[in-house]
Amino acid sequence: MDSTSPVRPTQHSHTTPHPSDAVVLWLIRTRAYFLKEIREIRRQPLLIISLIAGPLLVLVLFGIGFVNSNPVLRTALILPDDLPDDVRTRLVSLISLNFQITDRAYTLSEARIALEQGDLDVVQVIPADISGQLQRSEHPTILVYSNAINPLVEGWVQYLAYAQVNEINKALLTEQTRLAQQQAREVGVRIALGANRLTELEREVSRAEQETIRQELRALRAFLVQFRATIPPENLFAGRSEDIEQVRLRTDDAIRALDDVDAVLASGDIEKGLKELRDSKELLTLLDQQIAIFISIAPETIVSPVQQRYQNIRTEASGEASGAYPAVVYYAPGVLALLVQHTAVSLGALALVRERMMGAFELFRVSPANMVQLLIGKYLGYTVFIALASVALAAAMRLLGVPLLGNWFLFVILLLLLTVASLGVGFLISTVAGSDSQAIQFAMISLLLSIFFSGFFISRDSFAAWVAPIIALLPMSHGVEGFQDVMLRGIPPDPEVWIELGIIAAATFGLVTFLTQRQFRRA
Amino acid sequence: MIRANAIEATNVSLVFGEHAGVFDQTYCVPEGTILGLIGPSGCGKTTTVRLALGLYRPQKGAIRVLGADPATFRAEHRARIGYIPQQFVLYPNLSVAENAEFIASLYGMRRRQIHRRLDELLEFVDLAAARNRLGRQLSGGMQRRLMLVGALMHNPDLLFADEPTAGIDPVLRGRFWEYFRTLRDEGRTLLITTQIVSEAMYCDYVAVMRQGRLLAIDTPQNLKRRALGGEIIHLTLANPANLAKAIGALRRYPHVKEVRYAPESDRELYVTVDDAGDWIPEVLNVLEDPQGPNIVVESAEELALTFDDVFIRIIRQWEAQPEDQTADAIIGREQHG
Repeated sequence: MDSTSPVRPTQHSHTTPHPSDAVVLWLIRTRAYFLKEIREIRRQPLLIISLIAGPLLVLVLFGIGFVNSNPVLRTALILPDDLPDDVRTRLVSLISLNFQITDRAYTLSEARIALEQGDLDVVQVIPADISGQLQRSEHPTILVYSNAINPLVEGWVQYLAYAQVNEINKALLTEQTRLAQQQAREVGVRIALGANRLTELEREVSRAEQETIRQELRALRAFLVQFRATIPPENLFAGRSEDIEQVRLRTDDAIRALDDVDAVLASGDIEKGLKELRDSKELLTLLDQQIAIFISIAPETIVSPVQQRYQNIRTEASGEASGAYPAVVYYAPGVLALLVQHTAVSLGALALVRERMMGAFELFRVSPANMVQLLIGKYLGYTVFIALASVALAAAMRLLGVPLLGNWFLFVILLLLLTVASLGVGFLISTVAGSDSQAIQFAMISLLLSIFFSGFFISRDSFAAWVAPIIALLPMSHGVEGFQDVMLRGIPPDPEVWIELGIIAAATFGLVTFLTQRQFRRA
Repeated sequence: MIRANAIEATNVSLVFGEHAGVFDQTYCVPEGTILGLIGPSGCGKTTTVRLALGLYRPQKGAIRVLGADPATFRAEHRARIGYIPQQFVLYPNLSVAENAEFIASLYGMRRRQIHRRLDELLEFVDLAAARNRLGRQLSGGMQRRLMLVGALMHNPDLLFADEPTAGIDPVLRGRFWEYFRTLRDEGRTLLITTQIVSEAMYCDYVAVMRQGRLLAIDTPQNLKRRALGGEIIHLTLANPANLAKAIGALRRYPHVKEVRYAPESDRELYVTVDDAGDWIPEVLNVLEDPQGPNIVVESAEELALTFDDVFIRIIRQWEAQPEDQTADAIIGREQHG
């Protein structure tokens, strides 16, 4: 024989080991699985690089590329021919705030075809004679068309159209109020003259002078009628509508009083109409006082009396109003949670199915090692690897300006708990998957579920109550919330985060143990 | 010397389907011997091994391995058993040493023990130079040798090897059987399955399997005798004209069990006797007796049949038997003193 025969070591004693030996043996066997996993992963440098560098690159690209959270809406504006130039300029400038108006002029039918073909996102049709309709207390309507297939885009179009109409309303009313105030100043001057003329009538005046005064008062009446028409309808105002209404009422009273004066002058018996003359003078004085109030108020205050001032308390001390993070920083904790969960789920999903398919379960079952040692060894191996990769990613994120405002110890504990809970989901997949490709498919489904429901991009409040259990079952939901608290807010995560992650970790480990034990028996 | 049995199976059956599984297996394997399970693919060799390992539980009958029921094996029992499964189940991204270390750790071996043992075994199977090579970089034969190293790391008393030589070249197969016989010589018990019938000659005992049944189990030599009804002397006569006279003379001789014409020859005969070595001189005396037939024999030698022929004969004999008749498949203690 060519080969050297090995020296046969001392035979096993074949007795039950001492309890302390049993513990050592238990640890040796668990370590065997742990080291095996670590060594296998260590031999795959591309996997390690892609796990750390991949998400970081995506985050950097996102940070560089992300410029606006609002969609850009290509909009055709169809304006009526009779629109005055100044109103046209004003409207275009207001609509441009939220919509990207195209240079090309469209008819309505052309614009609708362009919408259908996807060349335009929005078409807005401005009605003719907006000012006239407002004066007539009508509601001019701006028609907004879209052909959106994305519900979020449609929501944005509707919201932006609503905000735009509010701004247009404000601008129109402010302008009309400003015009009414200008006319009211002129009315004030003329009322003062009219009141003087009424005082003159109380004295002895010639017939010819009476006629002159009568003509002047008629002119004043006509001016008041014209002024009344410029007063914007009360119902269009957000505030100070009582002052506007008082102006209107006093104007009506003054017009009626001037009619009475005219009747007295027509009768030629001033002595008998002295009371009407004095009443009329008083009413003109009241109108003058009301007009003084009206013109003293800024048009903006009449149109929108309440203002808002925003302050983010995070940046209150520095005097800056806005304090939210840039998008790249805000989404970083979510990316970290996503990396941890997806890596753990993928590794876990392949862990048992691969061993089962290659026949290693048979080898393990024949050996003295048990299934709990296998699970704990694998959990430990993957946890250490994912934790190291995540810490490296988090450190790289610091270079992008992502802070860790909270306690780093809580951060590490949360990272470990999220890893173990996610591994549980992965191992659970591994126990039910019949092949590698099935396991990967299930892992992808869990990834999709997490992206939609974890609060990563879409707020969890957006979902119906019955979705809450699905959200709660996803480790990433708690990971995103917890990492945002620790990293960006600097506060400890809610107790619910710890409890629910703990429940997922414990429940999945229990289930995996039970199911793997059954598969072990059938190996 | 009477040896204890490492494995004892009595009327063991495990049926998977109408004709799949193993049926009424009764056999035992003495300690320090090699039992070869030989049979075509799907005949139940792996199931037999799995029953003995406790991976399957018999539906009928009883099996004891190292004195215990495999279904209730404790860690101490498992620590005495080594197993080489049919496929390569070690890890492609781990080196030879790491793979072996992994298996050894499952058996609770400490680092120092592992390193010492690994050096010996790698030397034993000529893998010392490939110690740091990754599993995926090994050839098929090296992978098999690595599996053997893994199975031997914890120094098992009983080794199960399921088709360890399948798909490897004849030279390496020969090496493997050298390893196995060395292990046997150290006192270990080996149960080895193979589809390669010629490997039966390396075993102490051979069990021939077909359709889940043990057709025969005995030493290779005894199986040969049982298959052929004895041993065959190959006679070549000088003159073809004497052929009929020679047959007549031999059939009258009481120790000759059978005389047949050799295929495609007009002057050769096959003569079946109990022991060819003992009876060749007697047969020559009968034929060349000047007072008797006086036939000149050109040559007389024992016919060296391959084990394939033996295997085929055993299968044919079994097929010719009524269904309920099973072969004697017990290696009794008295047979190997």
